Amino acid sequence: MKKILNAPSAYVDETLAGLCAAYPSSYKLVGARVLARAGGPVPGKVGIVTGGGSGHLPVFLGYVGEGLLDACAVGNVFAGPRVADCVAAFQAADGGAGVLALYGNYGGDRMNFEMAIEELASDTFKCNSVRVADDVASAPVAERDKRRGVAGMVFAFKIAGACAAAGGSLAEVTAAAQKAADACRTIGVALTPCTVPESGRASFEIAETEIEFGMGIHGEPGIWRGPLKSADALTDEMLDLLLPELNMAKGSSTAVLVNSLGATPHEELFIVYRRVAEVLGQRGIRIVMPLIGRYATSMEMAGMSLTLMPLDSALEGLLQAPAGCPFWKV
Amino acid sequence: MDAPRLKDAFTRWAAAMDKAAPELNELDSRLGDGDLGVTLQKCALNVRAALPVAPDSVQGILKSASQACADASGSSFGTLLASGLLVAAKWLDGRSLDRAALSELLSHAVEKLSARGGASLGDKTMIDSLHAIAQALSQTQPQDDLAAVARNAAAKAIEEFRDKPNRIGRARMFAEKSIGMDDPGMVAVLRMAESL
Repeated sequence: MKKILNAPSAYVDETLAGLCAAYPSSYKLVGARVLARAGGPVPGKVGIVTGGGSGHLPVFLGYVGEGLLDACAVGNVFAGPRVADCVAAFQAADGGAGVLALYGNYGGDRMNFEMAIEELASDTFKCNSVRVADDVASAPVAERDKRRGVAGMVFAFKIAGACAAAGGSLAEVTAAAQKAADACRTIGVALTPCTVPESGRASFEIAETEIEFGMGIHGEPGIWRGPLKSADALTDEMLDLLLPELNMAKGSSTAVLVNSLGATPHEELFIVYRRVAEVLGQRGIRIVMPLIGRYATSMEMAGMSLTLMPLDSALEGLLQAPAGCPFWKV
Repeated sequence: MDAPRLKDAFTRWAAAMDKAAPELNELDSRLGDGDLGVTLQKCALNVRAALPVAPDSVQGILKSASQACADASGSSFGTLLASGLLVAAKWLDGRSLDRAALSELLSHAVEKLSARGGASLGDKTMIDSLHAIAQALSQTQPQDDLAAVARNAAAKAIEEFRDKPNRIGRARMFAEKSIGMDDPGMVAVLRMAESL
């Protein structure tokens, strides 16, 4: 293992300490593993919490910020947050108008947030939850509820955050988050693995010349493994998987996220985006506010993912509403 | 089962988890993310620290152990373990943990953990092991050694499921590849049963 760190067991806590030291006007720790907005909850606004394992920055905690999230429960690398931290995140996000938990569809995260809600929910404290399950490689469309949450979470955070910032009620924010979660689709490809600091082992093994198409952000197996292809061939194959599920007509609009899993540079992402723009352009589909960069990563894994989220005028407005966190400004 | 015996059992359980950790990490790295042993070791560490200050009742010890596991980890197995111990503590409210109650308690836990985690019987998870143990315990004679019955049932469940595919969680993605491989959670249950 070749990583810049002090002790594997301190990896998460020292990351959090550095993050808060760097951006004290944005983030504060309200528990060892609970990050919240520095200014605290916004009175009268619906709070949005998320949570999940570490190792995916800017996901999850990075998106705590105006027009985005209010608090985040932080787990160890690739492990769910503890129930007590989910409870504390809800409390830190509570501005008196209810709180939505918005997180990726993973068993541990689901159980912990459900248990936190069982502990907290009352007539005076309303909680809802929406899970993002956008990874098309992880289950067929008939079993969408089994799909994992990956980069599409960023769009769900943005849409729900904008709705809450605009004064939406808990029911409205929940509906907006669900609409975004239902709309987005992602497919990824991995080139090299990453290493979980505390285990010291690579998350999977892969030959120098091979790639794995459809691999998850924790190294979950994908659809096929084989020789590296050209950027255009890979992009076409990704679009061939995403577009049939989305039914986008000529003249419709979509959000696009070309995301690095960590080590893949912007250059390669733009080579892919070039092809995405070309193919969608040929189909008469308009791209709104393309995002290209590191938005949902897997530490030092090389690879990328492509997310599409078809937009109606409501989603388009929420996507483009002002928002800001240290990792992303709209 | 009384409080001192339950504390002793948890002490042996914690030692067994430390010992099994490398094996469970290795098994889990083939189907999961390789941290099952790490998770259980963290639970064992917290349980060991909680035992001396736990209340002197079976229910109190189970609650302390549950909290210790919940504080140790947010990973699914840790959460299910914490849930299972809490389910047991609540179920025991006013009842005593005798031979007859054990099987009934385990069946109740299987139902609750299945609802919590989403796994059904047959998915090749620790739920199948707990179910097998509950079934075996319900058919014992007064002279039978319950620990041995539990151990044998857990071992038999692993054998029975070895050539079936995992149907839930991350291991589900390996589908056919998981055939012939022992489920790490089921092996963890066996190591727990062996420590009784």
